[in-house]
Amino acid sequence: MIRVALAGNPNVGKSVIFNNLTGSRQHVGNWPGKTVEKKEGYAKCFGEEMYVVDLPGTYSLSAYSIEELIARDYIVQEKPDVVVIVVDASNIERNLYLVVQVLELGVKTIIALNKMDLAKSTGVEINVKELENLLGVPVVETVAPKRIGMDKLCRKIIEMKESERIQMRIRYSDILEGAIHDLIEILEEVKEFRDYAYRWLAIKILEGDNAIMQEVEEKIKTVSLKERIYEIKKRFEEKVEDTEMYVINERYRVIQEIVSKTVHVSKKVTLSDMLDQAFLDRYIGIPIFLAILWILFQFTFIVSTPFVDMIGDFFAVISNNMANVTGISHLDYLLFGEYGVLNGIGMILSFVPLIMALYFALSLFEDFGYVSRAAFLMDKLMRKLGLTGRTIIPMILGFGCNVAGIYGTRIVPEEDDRIIAIVTNPLMMCSARLVAFAIIAAAFWGSMAGTILLSLYVIGIVLAVFISLVLKKFVFKGKASPFIMELPPYQVPSIKVAASQAWARGSLFFRKAGTVILFGLLVLGVLATTDATTLSFTDDVQNSIVAVIGKMLHPIFAPLGWDWRLVIAVIFGFVAKEIVIGATAMLYGVTEDEFASFIAQHYDPVVMYAYMVFVLVYVPCIASIAAIKNETGSWKWTLFTILYEVSLAYLLGILVLFIGGFI
Amino acid sequence: MKIDKIYILLIGCMYLFFGFVQFLNGLSSIFLGFIPFNTCISVSGICIPNIFPDVFSGIALLTTGLLFVSSLYFYGRDVIKAKGYFLVGWILAILMLGLNIVEILSNILDAYYPILFGGEPNFVWSICEDSWGIAPHLLLGLLILPMYFENKIYLSELFPKKFYKTR
Repeated sequence: MIRVALAGNPNVGKSVIFNNLTGSRQHVGNWPGKTVEKKEGYAKCFGEEMYVVDLPGTYSLSAYSIEELIARDYIVQEKPDVVVIVVDASNIERNLYLVVQVLELGVKTIIALNKMDLAKSTGVEINVKELENLLGVPVVETVAPKRIGMDKLCRKIIEMKESERIQMRIRYSDILEGAIHDLIEILEEVKEFRDYAYRWLAIKILEGDNAIMQEVEEKIKTVSLKERIYEIKKRFEEKVEDTEMYVINERYRVIQEIVSKTVHVSKKVTLSDMLDQAFLDRYIGIPIFLAILWILFQFTFIVSTPFVDMIGDFFAVISNNMANVTGISHLDYLLFGEYGVLNGIGMILSFVPLIMALYFALSLFEDFGYVSRAAFLMDKLMRKLGLTGRTIIPMILGFGCNVAGIYGTRIVPEEDDRIIAIVTNPLMMCSARLVAFAIIAAAFWGSMAGTILLSLYVIGIVLAVFISLVLKKFVFKGKASPFIMELPPYQVPSIKVAASQAWARGSLFFRKAGTVILFGLLVLGVLATTDATTLSFTDDVQNSIVAVIGKMLHPIFAPLGWDWRLVIAVIFGFVAKEIVIGATAMLYGVTEDEFASFIAQHYDPVVMYAYMVFVLVYVPCIASIAAIKNETGSWKWTLFTILYEVSLAYLLGILVLFIGGFI
Repeated sequence: MKIDKIYILLIGCMYLFFGFVQFLNGLSSIFLGFIPFNTCISVSGICIPNIFPDVFSGIALLTTGLLFVSSLYFYGRDVIKAKGYFLVGWILAILMLGLNIVEILSNILDAYYPILFGGEPNFVWSICEDSWGIAPHLLLGLLILPMYFENKIYLSELFPKKFYKTR
């Protein structure tokens, strides 16, 4: 079996090539211990079986970000038979930096020169033969969405597996090459480094790469060898001021030489240049961004609505028809009741159209080339708030549904920023909470309800920014993300690629998050239908274990001015925020229609505002928790989110009551 | 001024007008609880255009109008900028046109999907009752659609595969 690693910059079409090669024989998971996505799969080309790994998209192998470290470690340690570097032909100069670094590793490499159609349409002509000659590796022209070049790529992979190790043809300056040569002579004497590419190791030593220097320190036992290495490094440092910068500049010098010999740009002003005049304009760019977000948001909810309803109806009909099928009330309830297995599956499935529609739309905008523009546009503002530009999109999506928002954080490339975006997303007031709050706000504040709702939106945003700043300052301190922004040329997105993304995300959610939601619903279902004294089935929730828990917890929430029914309602809200109002109405023995006037008579407006602030902040619904667990890959961050939100909600509730006391 | 520029100016102003009305209606419905402007013309019971209250939709329409009008302003000063503003406005207009169509289709599906399972429709769908119906997004989107032919040479860069096949 040929082991193939796909490397490349973000947004070069690497995933499409991976999908073309592996088809349905793929698995999506995370790299061990990381939140970075790992895609692996199997392909069969011309009778040869291949194992393909899609490495994270990176701009270099400098080990500054987690993605770069993963890609580098995989190539160095796992030693794939062939590395295919996917290069964006329309932006070849930037992409060649990664190519040069991979070539330094001395691994068998093939360049897939992707987006050739886009390059040609924007006036970029590439002399592929000359490029092959200068780099010393095969270059295959591809147009991944049209599967152009895939067969040739497969053939080259098979040929490359059988070929000799590649000879590095790239030559740096005499100073650098001299130091590399001297170091290689020493490194060849160290048997612990026998598996490494000596040239790469020498360059890393000269760059002062921390991880490699540590290995040198640990693995070289002979003091004289170590001294010779440090001597060469010192001599090199004396010749050039900043060693790392010198090596980077040398790489770019070589790249510019290659580009000048192989690339000819015939057209000066492209469509992308024209569109960027408006999309990136500091004034009109912001309303355009808002308009596009609104379109994205509307599309997601408009398209998913009938399918969500369809799934809901389908499962309701089945549940009703099977209501007493076993004749054992508790079992019937657990299987077919309101919080039973069947409705649980229905509830999980009802989120799937939303996630699929969201990913379909996001993929279209990303393929079009707008997402990176939006991030670029918002980056300056968001950085002041401790966030990156890309965080704005999942934040806004969170206003519709936090599950969608949390999954939307996949577009944030840096792991630290992504975790911050995930754990703060539940603070965005989702549409489920909006429904509940709209009823309460209308009952207490009448025509001012809109302002009250707006104030809750503002509280959510301010808290998200505050928590982000705290996490940046105390948890992820000193881990500055590199400011590299790619602005690919605009192009019509591929419906096929977007549909495949949507399907992958939808099925992943159903498999991963679904199990957590189902388990949570079952636990709550058992507690809400089991009589606290007899432990037998009860359809009166006031006698259930949940009610006992609510009454037990009541003293904790008494300072917030609630009775035990409101405590139970927030426990039910843990399942889904939509049912907070229904549960509260049921506990008070009134209908949902009567609920508004009932609470207006029984509660003080300040207490109810504090209640809304609590429900806004306290804990995400079970589907969001499942999404957080799935996306962070960690129970630590999931529990952190629950704990900080409950504590924050309680403190804010008290604060609102305190301030309200003066009004 | 050439006829196409007058046409763009006219449509741009309509986007601005409908956007402004929708924005105000949206704000008013949130904070005051009523819709102050009803500017549609009723044709056989169908409100044309249906300016449903929505602040963000209003911003989207206003932005599109602003892009069209600004593009005319820049024509004498910076052609690249003028073209860029017009093309982005055109793309936004087409996206909103598509969204309006998708909204109508989605509501029809939501109303009649029970028939697929042998049931009764959830509700009787009618363009008069549709929450968007014939909104400015649809109406103005259709009016600006033919401008594709005027800008085909630029927009064809968005379809790179054609270049690949022809060369």
